[in-house]
Amino acid sequence: MAKIAIDPICRIEGHLRIEAQVEGGKVVDAWAANTMFRGIEIILKGRDPRDAWVFAQRI
Amino acid sequence: MRSVEDALQIEIPDNARIIRNLISGIQYVQDHVVHFYHLHALDWVDIVSALKADPAKTSTLAQSISDWHNSSAAYFKGVQNKLKAFVESGQLGIFANAYWGHPAYKLPPEANLMAAAHYLEALDWQREVIKIQALLGAKNPHAQTYLVGGMAIPVDPNSQNALNAGSIAFISEIAKKAREFVEKVYIPDLLAIASFYKEWAGYGSGVGNFLSYGQFPNDTRINTENSYFPRGIIKHKDLSKVHPVDHTKIMEYVTRSWYEYPEGDAASKHPWSGETNFKYTGPKPPYEFLETDKKYSWIKAPRYEDMPMEAGPLSRMLVAYASGHKRVKEVIDSVLKKLNVGPEALFSTLGRVAARGVETLVTAEMLPVWLDELAANMKRGDYRIHNGEKWDPSTWPKEAKGYGFYEAPRGALGHWIKIKDGKIENYQCVVPSTWNGSPRDAKGQRGPYETALIGTPVADLNQPVEILRTVHSFDPCMACAVHVIDATGKEVTRIRVV
Repeated sequence: MAKIAIDPICRIEGHLRIEAQVEGGKVVDAWAANTMFRGIEIILKGRDPRDAWVFAQRI
Repeated sequence: MRSVEDALQIEIPDNARIIRNLISGIQYVQDHVVHFYHLHALDWVDIVSALKADPAKTSTLAQSISDWHNSSAAYFKGVQNKLKAFVESGQLGIFANAYWGHPAYKLPPEANLMAAAHYLEALDWQREVIKIQALLGAKNPHAQTYLVGGMAIPVDPNSQNALNAGSIAFISEIAKKAREFVEKVYIPDLLAIASFYKEWAGYGSGVGNFLSYGQFPNDTRINTENSYFPRGIIKHKDLSKVHPVDHTKIMEYVTRSWYEYPEGDAASKHPWSGETNFKYTGPKPPYEFLETDKKYSWIKAPRYEDMPMEAGPLSRMLVAYASGHKRVKEVIDSVLKKLNVGPEALFSTLGRVAARGVETLVTAEMLPVWLDELAANMKRGDYRIHNGEKWDPSTWPKEAKGYGFYEAPRGALGHWIKIKDGKIENYQCVVPSTWNGSPRDAKGQRGPYETALIGTPVADLNQPVEILRTVHSFDPCMACAVHVIDATGKEVTRIRVV
């Protein structure tokens, strides 16, 4: 029984961490954690709705 | 965009619909190929092993699966020399950071060399084909020609400065190149590689619930359900029934996420009343492990009817397949036949990879169809591109709310907006990687990555390439990535793990 953490997961966009419990050569439990905060929802408050797409188009 | 158009009830002109389809379509094609070769292939392809390949045998292999022109022994010898120079310099560059020589790599050296050659070719190809977005969107990424009510790119056959017959012909040529590479390189490589990894049809099955909002609208109605890839939900891997999508059934939990709701951690919220109150309670870095029995991620946990849902190409293709989409069904059935597996194989890591290829091909085939629609409108004298009736905020109601559905290459994307006195009162995005990368919810249900990993073999704890295979099969996009800086310039969040 061993617990491993892969952080960062490479060859993706952004930051992802995976923790996994491995038993008998197989994953028996796993946790996915995004280690980066994204605050677009907060940034958009109070702005002109016609501008929202510019802020939000890549998320 | 669509959430605002829904809130203000603005219907866009047909030309805007078509141009949006074209931009989205080429983005699917480019994104999926880049994912396959540059983000995912190295989980299956051992670059170092390619050095041992016989270029003549590689040529025979390549010619046996495709009539793509770059297939001579001399060509593969050249690629091999390039790779050798890389390895001998000790600077692996783009090929650094992988588990070369791991026993889970199954391809013969020749297949590795072929895939490595196409990895390099795809780099050039993707730069070329995304010119379609650069033309229609002014640049890539972050297209600049969108506009609430339509698009900000003129359509006029009599203007040099507008989309005209000449630009349509130019785009059409690029679309041909896009499709040719998908047909002659991507799909044959996908099938060849998959045939060595068929056991991966037995791993990575995931939550078994699939969400597709539908993509590529066929008409201009707001939030139309009439789209080339259909809208729908599949529950519990049951392909005999496609359920309708009701956006009011989408709720987000923060039980295991670094946020708080006034109602507490057991509560879930629909995005219209969603809140983004961050509250980091995790360990101070550097740390060995997160406190996974408490809060452990910056992603919320969205649920549909309290169920975790998978989003992405596999969801779209399964919903299309189960809805009887003619072309999707043909291509999926032919892929299953070539790999000699049944539809149940789709619910897997391999199925996710295959569905992305199927979708790329079917989408590349649609690019000329949309171009023809645009040309036909122009021929009829319809140059309308923007509906400006409600551009002026004085025409808006005092309060309005709306939602917009879209399928990004990575999956179901929903935006919800509340507008008050001409300003955004609340805006919530539930993005594809929120669905797929979600942590556990109040009931303790795992998210799609977490579920898919269970049962994944790990031969070497220090080189868990198998875990990468399943996680990468979802094409994670955690980015959506902006650090928030508060008014004093201090970073609000600073999470760094070495």
